[in-house]
Amino acid sequence: MKDITYIATYSFDLFGTSLTVNTFTLINTWIVMAVIIVLAIIGTRSLKGFPNPAQRLAEIYVSAMDKLTKETLDTTTRTYMPLVSTLFIFLLLSNWLGMIPGLAEPTKDLNTPLSLGIMGFFLTHTAAIKEKGIVQYLKEYCQPFFIMAPLNVVGELAKVISISFRLFGNILGGAIIISVVSHMIYSLVLPPFLYVFFGLFVGTIQAFVFTMLTITYISVATK
Amino acid sequence: MDGITGAEIIRAAALLGAGMSMGFGAIGPGIGEGFAAGKACEAIGRNPEEAGLLTRTMLVGQAVSESTGIYALVVALLLIFVVKG
Repeated sequence: MKDITYIATYSFDLFGTSLTVNTFTLINTWIVMAVIIVLAIIGTRSLKGFPNPAQRLAEIYVSAMDKLTKETLDTTTRTYMPLVSTLFIFLLLSNWLGMIPGLAEPTKDLNTPLSLGIMGFFLTHTAAIKEKGIVQYLKEYCQPFFIMAPLNVVGELAKVISISFRLFGNILGGAIIISVVSHMIYSLVLPPFLYVFFGLFVGTIQAFVFTMLTITYISVATK
Repeated sequence: MDGITGAEIIRAAALLGAGMSMGFGAIGPGIGEGFAAGKACEAIGRNPEEAGLLTRTMLVGQAVSESTGIYALVVALLLIFVVKG
């Protein structure tokens, strides 16, 4: 009960500056990365015209992501498809990792969603500048008239906060509810169902929403 | 026996504020998400072959309207776990 908000940290000095590492989050992220690498190796090990089950699953996933990206961005190129599919499977496995006893979701630590949100922010604005040119890009901030420019800048920054806090709040809230309810009923019967709801259902939806919103931001910025 | 100290008042106010934040903050997203789900049901009833697109759009819209509720949750968590009297 009392270790809900405890985060394992490890501090060390590097060239005079003190660095702090959230060890548990880092280890969980590495586990997710290892699982993704293993899945990718299994899925693409022996590519054939008549695919084996693993290759078939990989093909279903990649083509679904390809279709989603093309429909949302309204293009025929595959520029953002690798990013989108990687982001989705990383968040999906991260949100599901909490169901394994002894491990925790990396997304329960604000650092993970916030870094992914900042990545999306820079990606969106790089794509917008590349697509429209710097002059047109800066001109859009002065819509509908010049005085609104600070508000538009704040609005862009608020997108990062809202997208990362949404994921963080959902996952941490789910973890706290599971922990509190399990403590109250002495872990009888109910916790597995809670894990199914908050881990599988909410985790999947939030991973999808984070991915979808990142694509939508890119789509809005480049149009 | 001492009276109530300032730290205890701060702690009590933080816990009260957390409950109020979550309670009031849950009203808006509850109404909004229910409204969106109801409208999506109507749309699917009228146009069943677009169910996949409608569900996807509904989920994204609901997640966006949920963010105020999530802010309330984050504020409540901050008040409970970070504010020490």
